[in-house]
Amino acid sequence: MFRQLQARFGGPLAMAIVTLLGIWLIVMVTLPQLQMIEYSLRPNLLPAQVGGPDDRLTLTNYATLFSNDIHRSIFVKTIWSSVLVTLLTLAVSYPLAWYLAKIATPRQAALCILLLIVPFWINEILRTYSWFIILAFRGPLNELLMMLGLIDRPIRFLNGNGGVMVGMVYAYILFMVFPVYNAIESLDDNQVRAARDLGAGTVRTHRRIVIPHAKPGIATGCIMTFMLAAGSYAVPALLGSPGSRWFTQIIYNWFFEGGNWNQGAAYAFLLLVLCIGFMSLIMKIFKVGLGDIGR
Amino acid sequence: MDGSVRLDEVVMRFGDFTAIEKTSLEIGSGEFFSFLGPSGCGKTTLLNIISGFLTPSEGQVCIGGEPMASVAVNQRPTAMIFQNLALFPLMTVFENIEFGLEVRGVDKRKRRETSERLLELVALEGSGPKRVTELSGGQKQRVAIARALAVEPRVLLLDEPLSALDLKLRQHMRAELKAIQRKTGITFIYITHDQGEALTMSDRVAVMSAGRIQQVADPMTLYREPATGFVAAFVGENNRLQVGVIDQEGDRVRLDGGALGELTGRAGRETRLANGEAATLFVRPEHLRPTAAEAAGPKFDSEIEAVHFEGAWVMLETRLVASGEKLRVQLGHEVLRGYADALGVGQRILLGYDPVDSVVLRDDGSPVLDADTGEVLAGRQAAAGEEHV
Amino acid sequence: MSSQRFLALGLRFYVVLFFVYLFLPLLIMAAATFNDSRFPTVTPWDGTTLRWFGELAADRGMWQALGNSLIVATGVLLIAVPIGVATALFLNTVSSRAKPFLYALILSPLLTPGVIIGISTLIFWRQLGVSGGIFLTVLGQATFIAAYVMLMVTARLQRFDRTLERAALDLGASQWQMFRRILLPYLKPALYSAAVIAFLQSFENYNTTLFVVGYDTTLTVYIASQVRTGLTPAVNALGLILILITVLLAVVYELKRRREAAELVKGV
Repeated sequence: MFRQLQARFGGPLAMAIVTLLGIWLIVMVTLPQLQMIEYSLRPNLLPAQVGGPDDRLTLTNYATLFSNDIHRSIFVKTIWSSVLVTLLTLAVSYPLAWYLAKIATPRQAALCILLLIVPFWINEILRTYSWFIILAFRGPLNELLMMLGLIDRPIRFLNGNGGVMVGMVYAYILFMVFPVYNAIESLDDNQVRAARDLGAGTVRTHRRIVIPHAKPGIATGCIMTFMLAAGSYAVPALLGSPGSRWFTQIIYNWFFEGGNWNQGAAYAFLLLVLCIGFMSLIMKIFKVGLGDIGR
Repeated sequence: MDGSVRLDEVVMRFGDFTAIEKTSLEIGSGEFFSFLGPSGCGKTTLLNIISGFLTPSEGQVCIGGEPMASVAVNQRPTAMIFQNLALFPLMTVFENIEFGLEVRGVDKRKRRETSERLLELVALEGSGPKRVTELSGGQKQRVAIARALAVEPRVLLLDEPLSALDLKLRQHMRAELKAIQRKTGITFIYITHDQGEALTMSDRVAVMSAGRIQQVADPMTLYREPATGFVAAFVGENNRLQVGVIDQEGDRVRLDGGALGELTGRAGRETRLANGEAATLFVRPEHLRPTAAEAAGPKFDSEIEAVHFEGAWVMLETRLVASGEKLRVQLGHEVLRGYADALGVGQRILLGYDPVDSVVLRDDGSPVLDADTGEVLAGRQAAAGEEHV
Repeated sequence: MSSQRFLALGLRFYVVLFFVYLFLPLLIMAAATFNDSRFPTVTPWDGTTLRWFGELAADRGMWQALGNSLIVATGVLLIAVPIGVATALFLNTVSSRAKPFLYALILSPLLTPGVIIGISTLIFWRQLGVSGGIFLTVLGQATFIAAYVMLMVTARLQRFDRTLERAALDLGASQWQMFRRILLPYLKPALYSAAVIAFLQSFENYNTTLFVVGYDTTLTVYIASQVRTGLTPAVNALGLILILITVLLAVVYELKRRREAAELVKGV
């Protein structure tokens, strides 16, 4: 590999490329992950005990998740909620992506994409915070609902999973819209027309032509959205309550409140395994490879 | 300034695949030399070996008598004109032409002098400050030539540089390239699959096929005295008939044409055919003539299947009555005058030729071209070698 | 046919609704900035005021956090852009059986939750005696931002005509001269874009930063903590300013990108 680089860029530049890549992949990506795993396999010890008889590899930290009912239920809830967020996001994004890619005129599409990009660039915290205001006990949504006479007294939206999930859909939707849009856009218009000519209805056209073609984009969108949702700290922290904690919050607490980094590392690794598992599942279901995800 | 190029037993292999079979060749200083062959024949690979982009698996390249084995691409006394020209799109015409001098550390004033002079040579005075993206196809071509000449190469390598131009411009640029070559005295090595280009511009042409040079000769010899069946079929158009040798006397060969009866042909230069050997008789379309039944010499009774009026001549597609083989016949207006009524589709026509104009070659297993498409039918298929570059 | 038309109309309506959904929350947040209420809300409207901008300007914690964010973002830019470019060049050049594996490794930071990147960075550097702070924040963020840079540079690099490289060498350039004079100028637009995106990504990051920032505070962390404790409309004022800057940047960036895309289509 170095020979190819050297042939193209010469020795010094090839050296610089390999060095930068090596530092990144080894020191910044791989070693920290390995260290985290190693950490998760050691008990939480006092400094004096390190290197002593208790300092051995153990799976205790992982066992905690299964013995602690609360943590386990939060873990399961995080999975289900993230899946739900992913599906909701896909459902909301797909019609828009279809419109942008195939219905809108080029001018309309260009304007819409600009309008999409603007909030995409805005801080996740701020986007989440805006829902904090809307969903507040005395916020505009409650006022509106009361004005319409739909409810008699304000609802505590910020007290359960509902608020968190609404915030997540809002925060991560563009990670779904863009890959799906890109995938649908590359579909040949004539295929859609041909399907229509052959008498396929809207539903069938999408099920048989558009969705199969957009698979890589849908897969990418789902993987990104799930990863962001399951790994989100900001949204549950801002829109949730102590009663609707997210798995990331448990992890945070092990680090900065429980002071048990080993335990936290084990939980973090479980979260990582969860995301990798979901990704593999999606790639299997949609039969796409990693190359499709890099766009 | 010695711009001679010598290939000593050069072989190029990519893995198991041999792109260039053992090849030795000398190109004289100041010569306009072309490599002609179908795509995949290895000509581009050979060019890349001369320019230094590829290192031959065996053998060596000498330029001006000096071995080039340890001389890197950017040190060789060659310059290349690429098929897509490869002008630097973000630079002006001046910057493009002066690039080679700039990287050599030539000072600005000298660089500008050179580029002004070269722009004059290629008739683009005043275009220096333009961006190359503003130029027309022909102008880009000239900038590419000027840019290559700026580094004062001893050998200029041209990789099908005219293929992107339209027909008119291509013909005009042929003359211009030839003029520039004469004016500068630089060795030009030209790669093309277009025989028109090779024949009109070159002092000598090497016809290549399947990684092997089939023949090296001046254009006239190539056309009149093809050394192999491949050259006979690839250069110009040729009718081909499978025959058996009866005997040979001097260069005159009596042939057994099977259903066609006995035929006569002229043996290719330096070709000694054994009695009974299988051979191919080549007769060019323009050498076939309508003839009278009582006239001497070989005759083919054939039926006209199609008539194509091409302006300066008429091309007939005929089929031999005896064997069913196809013959193409090109007739000029001077011949046509006498036969205007006899040339309808379905009509019978008696065709003859002067054996002196024909060529008989031994069946040597060299690749055969499809008469209709010009594609290589037998022999080794298109070389993957060109992809490796 | 009429059902087709009905569907088309429905889709149009949906798209409008979608954009309302996208922008209304931001507008409400912006509006709350000007409400003269102790809490950030638009209901009830207690009168219009600009005082929250003043309160924000007087907040020394905010300025401190802003300074940190700018330092971190600059650091990330300086680390992630060279790494991303080197990686793109590597992927564009090398062909090897190990490449799919390497590519997966290179993409992995994008597919790893930000909190995990933060946690692993924190743990790894603690072993080496470095604890959370600006330095680790830079490293943690650069870990995944470099992958974004790689994607952007790769996209442009894939359209590069490599015969230009060969032409440069053929004309006598060294490989370094070729890189400096041909490849780098070609990549320039992608480098600018990547730099802008890297800066912004860093400036806005929360999940990774939260774990590695230690006792320092970046602006995003500061906003989050303000929302959870001591919430006043001053946060909205800050949000409004940030949004306006972002919108401006986004529009300029996007228009510039489109102009370049159009130029590219026009042909080089």
